[in-house]
Amino acid sequence: MPSKYERFKIETKPAPHVYQIPNKFDVSARKVRLAAMLVHEAFEYKLNKEVVLSRPCIYGVFGGRFGGFKPLKHKCVGCMRCVQEYPHIMTVKHSDSYKRLGDSFWTPEAVFTILNEASTGKIPVKGMGYKGAFGGEGFDGIWTDMSEIVRPTRDGVYGREYISTSVDVGRKPTSVDFSKIDRASSTIEIPVPIIFDKLSAGNGDVRAAVGMAAEKLGTFYVSRERTPFDFGQESLIPIGNEEGIEDLVERPPAIVEYDAEKSDLFEKLASRLPSSIVIARLPLREDSGMIACKLAHEGVHGLHLYADYHGQDYSKEPQHISASLKEVHQQLVKGGLRDQVTLIASGGITLAEHVPKAIICGADLVGIDTTVLVALQAEFRGETRDRANCQLKPRKIDPEWGAQRLVNLFGVWHDQLIEILSAMGIRDVRRLRGDIGRSMMDAELRELSFKGIAWAT
Amino acid sequence: MGNLELIVEKHSERIHHGLEVLPNLRHGLPEGLGNKRWTAELILATYEMALTGDLPKNGLEYKTGNSGGGFDVLGWKNNGSAKVESDKIDLSIELNKRDDGKKITIPLPIYGGGMSFGSISLNFMLARARAAKRLNTFMSTGEGGYPDDIVPYRDHVITQVATGMFGVREETIQYAPIVEFKYAQGAKPGLGGHLLADKVTSEVAKMRESSMFTSLYSPFPFHSVYSVEDHKKHVDWIKTVNPRALVSVKVSTPTDVDMVAIGSYHAGANIIHIDGGYGGTGAAPEIAKKNIAMPVEYAIPKVHDYLMSEGVRDEIVLIASGGIRTADDIAKAIALGADGCVVATAEAIAVGCTHCGNCERGRGCQVGITTTDPELSRFIEPEWGETRIVNLFTAWSKRLRSILAGFGLENVRDLRGRRDLLVRYK
Repeated sequence: MPSKYERFKIETKPAPHVYQIPNKFDVSARKVRLAAMLVHEAFEYKLNKEVVLSRPCIYGVFGGRFGGFKPLKHKCVGCMRCVQEYPHIMTVKHSDSYKRLGDSFWTPEAVFTILNEASTGKIPVKGMGYKGAFGGEGFDGIWTDMSEIVRPTRDGVYGREYISTSVDVGRKPTSVDFSKIDRASSTIEIPVPIIFDKLSAGNGDVRAAVGMAAEKLGTFYVSRERTPFDFGQESLIPIGNEEGIEDLVERPPAIVEYDAEKSDLFEKLASRLPSSIVIARLPLREDSGMIACKLAHEGVHGLHLYADYHGQDYSKEPQHISASLKEVHQQLVKGGLRDQVTLIASGGITLAEHVPKAIICGADLVGIDTTVLVALQAEFRGETRDRANCQLKPRKIDPEWGAQRLVNLFGVWHDQLIEILSAMGIRDVRRLRGDIGRSMMDAELRELSFKGIAWAT
Repeated sequence: MGNLELIVEKHSERIHHGLEVLPNLRHGLPEGLGNKRWTAELILATYEMALTGDLPKNGLEYKTGNSGGGFDVLGWKNNGSAKVESDKIDLSIELNKRDDGKKITIPLPIYGGGMSFGSISLNFMLARARAAKRLNTFMSTGEGGYPDDIVPYRDHVITQVATGMFGVREETIQYAPIVEFKYAQGAKPGLGGHLLADKVTSEVAKMRESSMFTSLYSPFPFHSVYSVEDHKKHVDWIKTVNPRALVSVKVSTPTDVDMVAIGSYHAGANIIHIDGGYGGTGAAPEIAKKNIAMPVEYAIPKVHDYLMSEGVRDEIVLIASGGIRTADDIAKAIALGADGCVVATAEAIAVGCTHCGNCERGRGCQVGITTTDPELSRFIEPEWGETRIVNLFTAWSKRLRSILAGFGLENVRDLRGRRDLLVRYK
């Protein structure tokens, strides 16, 4: 515990892109028409160079030596003024390389959002209203609630009453046992409800960046192999197996996961690592609720439920992680077990808004995966859905740079989580867990509000 | 004429010419223009209506966007030919349904939403005020204060009282036929206003009694209101300062928006104004625009039905905003249960906005709408802007009349809550 009170804040600083990112817009001029226009204007304005060469762009796209003949495409923000002024000469469109970004799940806009969050450490703030699809599947079909007149108040980004984003990981007793009251807590507090999940791919530099970032942030990262680095060891959540138990006993981790589908290691891990929190790692399927209840009855401290990287579970008829999570959460609630175990959710949690929405659906905290690689400028070479064959290939990076990018990402997501919580009038992210009543579902609202409206024939 | 004058004149003329030429599609549909909500066709159709005062005749889509939900998946029942003569149709609505207080009627079920001085240029603000006067409707100051230049239009200007209290003075409340409390804004529900530092020029800072080039984040919520009783004190305060003023309460769309509405009614409000999550803004965190609070399409029936069930529906005016882009959106909102609508982004589109979303930046808008830059502001001449906004609303009124005529309705008030006239598309 710090000796004096300090409000939790993640210190961000710029970590610019190392690999060039595509220009969002492609601006071009029909050169012959441009030349003709310049001649025309030269006559019209009697060779007044300043007027003739004043350009229809306030962002400097035509500020280069060759003006519109060689526009500075990276400066274009798509405002379209050049097209408005000279529709017969200018064309602005989304660039092909921008449109190629991502895959069937990761939209170019989502990739750009993560790249910019990791680079600047600042919340994206823009003018004009929302531009996208009305609702959608999964997290896109969920709106969080707000409250018109409640505390905590908000006086600017940092001038608000304190909102806690801390969560506890570990098993909680159902009642106070006074004989054990002097023992250390069996849970660990993490200042943000986000950990780094196991990455599909990664070189040593990426692993080092993740370890360093986890250490700086006071969070954890899941990995099958122990890193050979000095930093980040305390933040590691190893995935234990039968053969590796002795290694773990030598250096007991604070939290350990095991593949609950492949082995029944809980008893062994719990007895050999009495100070560690033992989490069962499970793919989300139609029977996950039942299995979660069984494991919780057996005494596991937490469950890490994962979907594929596009957020679809592994049921015969896959559904979105938001739906599967709700089912598991509700079964645990019905079984009277929910408050005893920690639920970590991962897979398809790729944008800041997915964190509160996953928590509303029942998770205590989330694990992020492909987003980490995107923030570190990994390359999309195909579909990223399959955990075993994810086509997101890490590039060579400087671990210090990578760690700062990830710290920035967490800082921005933390601030955005606070925006959501403050709008809802919630002071503690722990109170958001499973609070479906503070969310609004597109499918439900549509049926309620459009009730009685006939279908078009 | 100095070079600066010539440069402003040159670009101003070019932009205005472009707005005339683009909708005829001679140069095709600009590829980079628009998005799912405001499609390129919808933007160009709005330019066309603002130019001609009539509906587009070249096939441009002017009724819906392409967002895949809400208004965009609602249509009208096939109603055959017109059953009422268009010119006999009454589009007016009352803004005060209570027995006491001044009666105000507007000839169209539309008035202009809050856009603050600082977030938009003074010239655009003047264009809106002039248009409101000509149409005998209203526009709202937004929360950035009440510039002296709009005082001549005060009979058509709504004074907004928001959490920052910028420019809220006794005289600005006394000017106002309607005072609007902004509890929340659809684009950033629960977060208060944002005006980023670059746009806080000396004039803006003076108006808001703040420091130049310092970001201004309005508080949230009103620190004097934590209950309906507190809210009633607010309403009483306005009615004491200006007993003639109607009170509008602008709120966002939380899950209990129906309770908020009934609370406002009991506090004495004349208008409950619900601003859905897909509304416009000069600057807002992107996370707030998509994810917080429900779209207005879902909130309108919820509020309308609840006010009906409480037996007070005919004593309070329900105004909807937040994503109202077209005349069809207005008619659909009314059919869902609203009395009328507030629009703001559409007015900006009418004078050349491309919905590019760069309003928050340093110099702000490239065509002089959402800017405090003195040079860029001059692209919007108030008279020119007024004409375009009036034209847009004139074209919309033609479309509204055509919808009503098809259903044999002589009064827009008879459309309210007529969900049976709508159809849903998958």
